[in-house]
Amino acid sequence: MRIELALFASLEPYLPEGESASGRRTRMIDLPGGITVGEVVARLGLPDQPRVCFIDGRGVREDAVLTDGVRLAIFPPVAGG
Amino acid sequence: MGLPMDLHPHGRPDTRVTVPGADVRDLRAELAGTRVGIIGLGGLGSNAAVMLLRSGVRRMVLADFDVVELSNLDRQAYFLDQVGRPKTEALAETLLRIDRDAELTFISERVDPEMLLARFGDLDLLIEAVDRPDAKAMIVNTCLQRLPHVPLVTASGLAGYGSANAIETERFCENLWVVGDLESDVDTGLPLFASRVMVAAAHEAHIAIRVLLGFTEP
Repeated sequence: MRIELALFASLEPYLPEGESASGRRTRMIDLPGGITVGEVVARLGLPDQPRVCFIDGRGVREDAVLTDGVRLAIFPPVAGG
Repeated sequence: MGLPMDLHPHGRPDTRVTVPGADVRDLRAELAGTRVGIIGLGGLGSNAAVMLLRSGVRRMVLADFDVVELSNLDRQAYFLDQVGRPKTEALAETLLRIDRDAELTFISERVDPEMLLARFGDLDLLIEAVDRPDAKAMIVNTCLQRLPHVPLVTASGLAGYGSANAIETERFCENLWVVGDLESDVDTGLPLFASRVMVAAAHEAHIAIRVLLGFTEP
């Protein structure tokens, strides 16, 4: 299956090579069916840091299963307040 | 009426809004009927609370477990004679000097997911204003997954001496607005300057006001 992946801020360098999607921080990527958000995080080698994950603009847990055509976005908040 | 696209300094549509028939008293009355939560009363939260109250938001639930320290005075809305006191107590004193009839609820405990659901779940809008990224992620994840009906404003990337113009408000999804440059991280050694922190606090307060008035775009 094929999804759109968006990685924000410090995660942008972890974007795999591939076809750009709708924005600078996005790529179209191919994944096996039934894969979860957490498995994508592991596959990309993202650092172990707090993050927020969205599928098609809805906040999800990392055990959420991806389906063909969705947009997965991952955002890491940084310190300061 | 906004500027024509080609005259706008950033090349984006001007989002100023005129509400037909409404004057500032109507808008303040509308804001006075809302309830807003702020979690974290440091540089972001204490300054955002002051700005919201001055703008007409008079009912707030404010949470912080910390006490005022001398090192906070470079950017937070506290004073020398408040050092050592709980931030909730010190901020209450300051806010009531601005509006003695404000309806303020203070929570002097660390916020966890269950408390967030119990104490902030029925508000009109919530502002995340904590400093640690794990706490930010906990608040955002809990709200997105379990309080999707509560608009949430969060902040990420406000440290350092980079351009204040790099701090923006972005709508990430239907009920989430993110303020900051997304990258400037205190944990990389960047200092916090009152000027840049207050820019971010003002963005948080202002998008809160816009959302409370029914607008959604930053």
